[in-house]
Amino acid sequence: MKTRRARKWVRLGKRVVSHLVLILACAFALFPIYFIVITSFSTLPIASITAQVLIPKLSQFSTASYHAILFSQSPSFTSLLWNSTIFAGSSAAIGLLLAAFTGFALSKFNFPGRRTFVYFILLISLFPSFVLILPFYLEFAKLGLIDSYLGLIIPYSAGAVVFSGILVKNYMDSIPDDIEEAALVDGLGRTGAFFRVLLPLCYPILGLAAFLAFVGPYSDYALAHVFLTSSDKWTLALGLYNVASTDSGASNYGLVTAFAIVMSLPIVAFYMAFQRYIIGGLTLGAVRG
Amino acid sequence: MADLRDQTIGFRLRREWPAYVYLLPTILVLLFLNAYPVAYTIYISLTDFGTGGKGSLLSYHYIGLTNYVYALTTGWSTTLALVENSFFWAAGSVVLFLLIGLALATVLNQEIRGKTVYRTVILLPWAMPAFITILVWSNMWGYEYGLINGILHSVGIAPVDWLQHTDTAWAALFVTNVWLSFPFYTVVFVATMQAIPKDLYEAASIDGASGFSQFFRITLPFLRPTIIFVGLMGFLFTFNNFYPIYLITSGGPGISTQIFITESYNQAFGSLGATPAFSTAALYSVIDFVIIIAITVVVIWRTDLTRNWLK
Repeated sequence: MKTRRARKWVRLGKRVVSHLVLILACAFALFPIYFIVITSFSTLPIASITAQVLIPKLSQFSTASYHAILFSQSPSFTSLLWNSTIFAGSSAAIGLLLAAFTGFALSKFNFPGRRTFVYFILLISLFPSFVLILPFYLEFAKLGLIDSYLGLIIPYSAGAVVFSGILVKNYMDSIPDDIEEAALVDGLGRTGAFFRVLLPLCYPILGLAAFLAFVGPYSDYALAHVFLTSSDKWTLALGLYNVASTDSGASNYGLVTAFAIVMSLPIVAFYMAFQRYIIGGLTLGAVRG
Repeated sequence: MADLRDQTIGFRLRREWPAYVYLLPTILVLLFLNAYPVAYTIYISLTDFGTGGKGSLLSYHYIGLTNYVYALTTGWSTTLALVENSFFWAAGSVVLFLLIGLALATVLNQEIRGKTVYRTVILLPWAMPAFITILVWSNMWGYEYGLINGILHSVGIAPVDWLQHTDTAWAALFVTNVWLSFPFYTVVFVATMQAIPKDLYEAASIDGASGFSQFFRITLPFLRPTIIFVGLMGFLFTFNNFYPIYLITSGGPGISTQIFITESYNQAFGSLGATPAFSTAALYSVIDFVIIIAITVVVIWRTDLTRNWLK
């Protein structure tokens, strides 16, 4: 009787501690995001920040920062958004096409040199991409590709190929060969089988690969900062950095945070909507018994 | 397709040649946009591009291993600091990721009310583009206007000049990095834990094993391959994780939090007006990827990590 009651207490204690730990983790995860949201909606030209900014006051509610970001920035927000979409969109499209071919070849063919090739792209995928900025810059300067759309789209799509190729390969590995063989028996060639049967089965992973290939260039600063000299080609990331670094104390906190929210909203929405897919796709290689 | 390993190369070539057609664009990309730039970087590191005094941006010379000798002699203190900082940054972060991820995953893997809500909230930092949130964090660590000091002030603690002291600068970096990455590790570990057969735990508790010994005897061994895999990937990624250091400390104070990748970027594109030291930048890049390759090769050779990739 006594031990049973004791066990009950232990279980209750365990549950309380569990909830405490999780609440703490959630608070840690949320407070910068909460801070961004609150600040972006308040008028805040104050001398210094105290924890009081974390308590929203209705009298301070204002959308002025959003107005300023969207309508009175130079270069204009539409221009930044347009450039980001061009860079990220075309890089994702090119990278995705190549990744689909790569994944297919590596997963469904047993060609001589396959093993070496897989090791090679594995090694390449671990290469720090930032290291490539310098040679790209020097070479593209010679070719006159600095400050052009093409000059950024090329390295961006190259960056997407390797990682997405591995993602697609892993996913295709999990599709039974029988499916392809059945298509061959039905008289489709291997190319036909790829386009009509395999590729449609891979839409989920291709969606994920396209999204990841989009997010990379969308939030790239390091390469764009070096490559884009004229502000009419600036991307959102450069615009955000510009707002954050023309720092005059706390006066532009509202602008930085409003910009941060507008820029991350589409990405966050996508992540949250497809979180299971995304985690499943990313951990295909990592999670196994 | 079927296992053709025992068949002759000629046979396989005749049957499997379309693979090369599919791979052709990627091979071109790898050659021209990966292999060639890497080779070019190595070449630049053997010249005096930008470091040979006046006019070295217009005409530069092959100078052999001079830069490497410099890095190992006169410049040794800088090189050593970069090695130490890069390893400290990567290893420290990964240890924190793994410990926090494991702890939270263990808690989250129980039957507990509000699980979905907790999970969703914990994922939020990971869903936001890192560049954006790092920029916000770098504002939060500010001395005068930073939120962290604001909170400290409200509870009566004197403001800390976070980025001006080595210890507190590292603390700021690690806290930010944990915030960026703990969601991913937690979720990966939860996913792996869910694959552990429930009857193992039932059998263990019938045998009277406590929660702790169940964790160490069942959960941990089961998670081992995942821990090694994400731990290694995390290490390699963090070793070259550019933005937190570039945006928060810029490697300061001095170079006490500088790592190879940020130092390389600074040497090439850092200060406006100064002559860009391309050869020094290339030198640090080369050292950086020699280290990365060495670690990768050892790991591939010593573990069965790539087994899955080569099925």
